[in-house]
Amino acid sequence: DLIIQVALKNAEGGRIIVEVDEKVAKVRNIKVDNRLEGPWDTTEKIVAFGFDFCYWSVDPEDPKYASQEVVFQDLGTSVLSGAFKGYNICLFAYGQTGSGKTYTMMGTPGIFSREDDYSEQPASCRVEVSFLEIYNERVRDLLKQSNQKKPYTLRVREHPETGPYVQGESEFLHGITAATHVHDASSRSHAIFTIQYTQAILENNLPSEIASKINLVDLAGSERADPSYCKDRITEGANINKSLVTLGIVISTLAQNSQMFSSCQSINSITSEGDNHASSHSPGSVSGTRRQAYIPYRDSILTWLLKDSLGGNSKTIMIATISPASSSYNETMSTLRYASNAKNIINKPRVNEDANVKLIRELREEIDRLKTMLMSFELRNSSPSWSDDRDGNLTELVLQNEMKVGIFY
Amino acid sequence: MAAPAGWASLCEKFRSSLSLSNVESKKDPENEPYRSKYGARELLEEIRQLLGSEEAAEAEGAPAGEAAALRAVRLAVVEYELGVNHTDTEELSAGEEHLLKCTRLLERHRLSRDCVSLYIQAQNNLGILWSERGEIKTAQTYLESAEALYNQYMKENGNPPLDPNEHFMAEEEKLTDQERSKRFEKAYTHTLYYLAQVYQHLEMIEKAAQYCHTTLKRQLEYSGYYPVEWALNAATLSQYYLTKQCFMESRHCLAAANVIFSQAGQVPSSEDNETEQDQQDLRQRKAEIARCWIKYCLTLLQSARKSLEDNIGELDPDRQSELKAQRKKEEDEKEKGRKKAVLFGTSDLCDSILATEEKVSCICPLDFQEAREVFLVGQNYVHEAKEFFQFDGYVTDHIEIVQDHSALFKVLAFFEEDYERRCKMHKRRIDMLEPMYVDLNPQYYLLISRQLQFELADTYYEMMDLKVAIGNRLEELDSHTRKKINSLAQLAVKYYELFLDSLRNPDKIFPEKLEDDVLRPAMVAKFHIARLYGKLITSDGKKQLENMQTSLEYYTFLVDYCEKHPEAVQAIETELELSKEMVGLLPTRMERLKAKLSPFS
Repeated sequence: DLIIQVALKNAEGGRIIVEVDEKVAKVRNIKVDNRLEGPWDTTEKIVAFGFDFCYWSVDPEDPKYASQEVVFQDLGTSVLSGAFKGYNICLFAYGQTGSGKTYTMMGTPGIFSREDDYSEQPASCRVEVSFLEIYNERVRDLLKQSNQKKPYTLRVREHPETGPYVQGESEFLHGITAATHVHDASSRSHAIFTIQYTQAILENNLPSEIASKINLVDLAGSERADPSYCKDRITEGANINKSLVTLGIVISTLAQNSQMFSSCQSINSITSEGDNHASSHSPGSVSGTRRQAYIPYRDSILTWLLKDSLGGNSKTIMIATISPASSSYNETMSTLRYASNAKNIINKPRVNEDANVKLIRELREEIDRLKTMLMSFELRNSSPSWSDDRDGNLTELVLQNEMKVGIFY
Repeated sequence: MAAPAGWASLCEKFRSSLSLSNVESKKDPENEPYRSKYGARELLEEIRQLLGSEEAAEAEGAPAGEAAALRAVRLAVVEYELGVNHTDTEELSAGEEHLLKCTRLLERHRLSRDCVSLYIQAQNNLGILWSERGEIKTAQTYLESAEALYNQYMKENGNPPLDPNEHFMAEEEKLTDQERSKRFEKAYTHTLYYLAQVYQHLEMIEKAAQYCHTTLKRQLEYSGYYPVEWALNAATLSQYYLTKQCFMESRHCLAAANVIFSQAGQVPSSEDNETEQDQQDLRQRKAEIARCWIKYCLTLLQSARKSLEDNIGELDPDRQSELKAQRKKEEDEKEKGRKKAVLFGTSDLCDSILATEEKVSCICPLDFQEAREVFLVGQNYVHEAKEFFQFDGYVTDHIEIVQDHSALFKVLAFFEEDYERRCKMHKRRIDMLEPMYVDLNPQYYLLISRQLQFELADTYYEMMDLKVAIGNRLEELDSHTRKKINSLAQLAVKYYELFLDSLRNPDKIFPEKLEDDVLRPAMVAKFHIARLYGKLITSDGKKQLENMQTSLEYYTFLVDYCEKHPEAVQAIETELELSKEMVGLLPTRMERLKAKLSPFS
């Protein structure tokens, strides 16, 4: 489940080139290319992107202006109602530095604090929160006065029962207010605010629990924040990595791509045997068969911490914030493109199922047997010389055969 | 020509510019990221002024006066540095201009000892520059021309060429031939590395891999590597070769990774108090290399199975003897030829790598004995990897490793002729998967949990099938075997049902419409359950009727679902076709059974 919102902030820096129309964001390209191409390449291009919600938050005087309250009503409440039902929810804010991610999430008052206010519910429940910052693949606890010398030293781990966690991270029960650090390097770091929400309920008169987790994620500026990749993992466009230190990245990309290619192939080869798989794999997602190769590059800590929120019974909401100014054209385009491809960012493990040729062959044979049997029965019915008695024996016989056949052919 | 004193200060300026550019610039503040680079640029501009205008140099260059030629080279060095400087500060057009000036100055002498290194580096940087503009083809042209120039120089001359910086050094500071050669080779290694990336972007994957391989090889030859990093890269490259089914190359990379990694253990790190973190990182890397080995063994076995199986996935003895006969003929010469091209390391190193290789074959195993050897190597690496990636703390990694272990058993079972022993191998899979599944909280590991459910169900199904086959060989089906078959079938049903239950939403309702990623597995689970109910053995006619009824319901689910969602059809065409048949046949069959059960009604 994916909802995408475009919030628009900060009009400084040139002409406004973005327009919001219902659920569509349109971007005009007025960049006059004064490089080699010459004067004929100045045609205006408008590119439109469709989303579930689009908000215009530039000028409070504007009749279309969407306030924090409106954004929260649309998104925040759906986050909460999902969590009450037991879904894991993940809400991302993604966009260029300065385009208003942190404002939307933590501003005055943003989604972080509102979620807190609204999480009072009559049902008997427990709310635990944690607040982490990831900077340069290192984690720091924002709810704890940390060791000033080594603020980013927490390690991430997975517990079979309680899921991914950060070693030594503090968890506060709802109601305790902790002195928080200012999440000051926001343009370069991710912040994750997690609410673990546990409701006590009665199910079939037995006490039971519904647990859900809400992750509110304020991503680093989009210049640096592709959540599906490690730092430096992908090179923008086709740029060459200069230093040999990055050889590992090149090799792992190579291995990954060839793996994706070969697993698509293996699916096609199964298809050709008449055992049709849906082989429409969206680019960027790892396809169905078991991972044939192991590529020893870790997911980024962010992806790793959030993986339970990114697949299966979870809802993911992405807020893409853009600046309407012409000076931000490139960033705006890449943010919007990224947001519209956001479904593909998740590397989901899939169920591997074997080609069940054997079973199919067996069943085909059984079908043939059944057909013969039923046909002979019809024949008998039309010919009075067959007695009920003999028919009964035949059924027995077929039954026995059926059990035995099936393996011999 | 500048006076000696002037010349010394010129050299000093040059040295300062290098230090600003390469050392100081790393400490520049965030809000002035290019401060030192701009400083370096100013110095370079001054040097260029002092060397005289380029026109003069070019004009004088024509009569090939020695002084003029010298000045031209020096000017070229400055132009090169300016080019790199502008590229680094995101002024690509200016950077390109300077780099082109550099190559123009050197053009005629590019094959000389004085110029060749600089010329190659200028072309490297032009390649980088064009890749930043997204013109990868142009980058390719520059880099390939650098590659060609290296080859031509080594063929025609081969003496260690001067390093560009030497043109601004006093005689006594000049480098040794050994150092010259090292720097020159390093520049060329970069050319190859950039080409690897260019080929990757152009989707010339094989070529890209070949260039990555050569880069690794040259790092070893010129000792320009960190052992852990190198080992990990080689292990990763092995995974590329795996996907291409190049087992000889893959094994070579892995063996080299092991050998080089062991160097990291021997050489204590420069700081004497190695932190615990470093130790742990080292253990993790080792476990990661082990995981690459597991995949190697697994893929080798699976590829062997693929070449040996008949149309129902059993070992085909004809195919087996055919492949065995074929293997004798070809293996030697073909492998040797390929091997030469990829060999890592020189003498000593190479010997240890080859010794490591000998521990496991790189040829597809063709019988149980051979398969078992590969299996055992894989299993050893499973144990090694699990030592670091423990369940508690590394849930996902640990499970992936155990899944591979299970897959190793599964493929080994293919080679086992004896059904009882084969069944025991599948039981081993159950024993390793089931406890993990039980301990796993599906709220956090839903997708992995589903994978385990499905694999457990499939494994129980497989075991049931084997027991049926064993039963069929008996004169008479004894009650023990019958019970066994039924209980295995029920366990398979249980896990398919658990999988299907995992698709329900928090309100426990099965979705109207299945997501793409679970559509086929869900349908297959339904289909298998239907089949399993058809296979349950009972002498009780009523019970049998019930089972048929349940079976019918599951087949009907498939048919109904596809009627409501026609787009699902293509995902399960065969299963749907058979389900339709069964939905048509079963009711009549049940009528017949009913009639038989109460003949007097």
